[in-house]
Amino acid sequence: MFEQYLNLTYYDIFFFMKAIGMTLWITLVSITFGTIIGFMMGIIRCSHNKLVSAIPLIYIEPLRNSPLITQLFLTYYGLPVVANIVLDAQAAAIITLSLNTGAFFSVLVHNAIKAIPHMQWEAGYALGHGKFSNFKNIIAPQVLRLLIPGAITLYINQLQVSSFVSLISLIDLTKAGHILTLRTMRPFLIYGIVFLLYFAISYPLSKLARRLEKKVAFNF
Amino acid sequence: MYLNFNFLSNYFPMLLQGAKYTIIISIGALALGFVLGILVALMRQSNNKILNFIGAAWVEFLRNTPFLVQLFFLYFGLPELGIYTDPIITAVLALGINSSAPNCEIIRSGLMAVKKGYYECSYALGFSTIETFRYIIFPVSLRLAFKPLTSNFINLVLTSSVVFSITVNDLMGTSKTVAARTARPFEVYIFILLAYCVFTFILSFISKAIDKKISITL
Repeated sequence: MFEQYLNLTYYDIFFFMKAIGMTLWITLVSITFGTIIGFMMGIIRCSHNKLVSAIPLIYIEPLRNSPLITQLFLTYYGLPVVANIVLDAQAAAIITLSLNTGAFFSVLVHNAIKAIPHMQWEAGYALGHGKFSNFKNIIAPQVLRLLIPGAITLYINQLQVSSFVSLISLIDLTKAGHILTLRTMRPFLIYGIVFLLYFAISYPLSKLARRLEKKVAFNF
Repeated sequence: MYLNFNFLSNYFPMLLQGAKYTIIISIGALALGFVLGILVALMRQSNNKILNFIGAAWVEFLRNTPFLVQLFFLYFGLPELGIYTDPIITAVLALGINSSAPNCEIIRSGLMAVKKGYYECSYALGFSTIETFRYIIFPVSLRLAFKPLTSNFINLVLTSSVVFSITVNDLMGTSKTVAARTARPFEVYIFILLAYCVFTFILSFISKAIDKKISITL
């Protein structure tokens, strides 16, 4: 009687596509915001004032050293109770993942800026650049170049980590796989498809990262 | 908005029980991931093309698919083959397999960092290939790889928090129960978040202290 449900149908393709759309949407939005936050925090981290440079640590360290799933639950289940901020699952996922990406990205930015030798700054000043012009024209291009491979690796990681949002009831690729598994009772096949889909998105990116890493590497 | 952490003291033993499972799972996965990481690193270092390909495919596959799907695959997929899975064992297995990929990359870069002179020297002293690896190359490369390995272990502890989704009562799982029982999720989760922070800080402190003792420059 229920055998008709056990088969994968043509419509399940659309279900998977919708789920991929959700995964990509969450990932793209959160890495965009995360990159912006990361740049701001990373630049503040490089301040010469020790107090100012320590301020972002209050934000960075707890987010880097705790599980993402706890952070997600905190925003999704915790905030409505304590502060009456009711977020739907998508908003909670995007906010948490953005902040999480921002924390990791700011460390990358900080390290990249620190990796530029001091001579570069001095040479810029000697050529008559002001502080801002120096940063914009000499330091920033080199920082960006150093940043790209690490950033892509982080983005790939965030794509995979975005699967955690399935635990707060968002229908992303992982949740879609779970739902179809429960319906068809064929976990091997369904999770195989999910593996393949994730792999197809993420593998080209990781190849790109490795290629850029070789291309971008330079000695001062 | 008010915060009240007093009720947590009643649930402290329960959370501690959860933390025990987190530690057990992490250590089990650490051991498994380390052994698998060494094996895969050796496969990737070998001259045999098939072994090399298998190693590379293993690493690429694990790095490019989410841990959660790997966990579900093992937990829900293995019974289809007739292997009945215990949640804790599955969690250790999944975490160990997942962490073997970064471990392999780290150990491999450690092996590649050992200079050729070490091999030549030990051959000149009459060591065989296996003895060279066992007594000279391996200890040196492990010392080189110690720091990234520990940061990978910290990552593993943090990732282990999602195993509650296959009904393991680890720290995150018990905190979910406590949050549901007390209806004060914010306090519970922020406490757990800080507990994980403290735990990782202690771990990284210990690893730094050990690293200072055993680190070498070639």
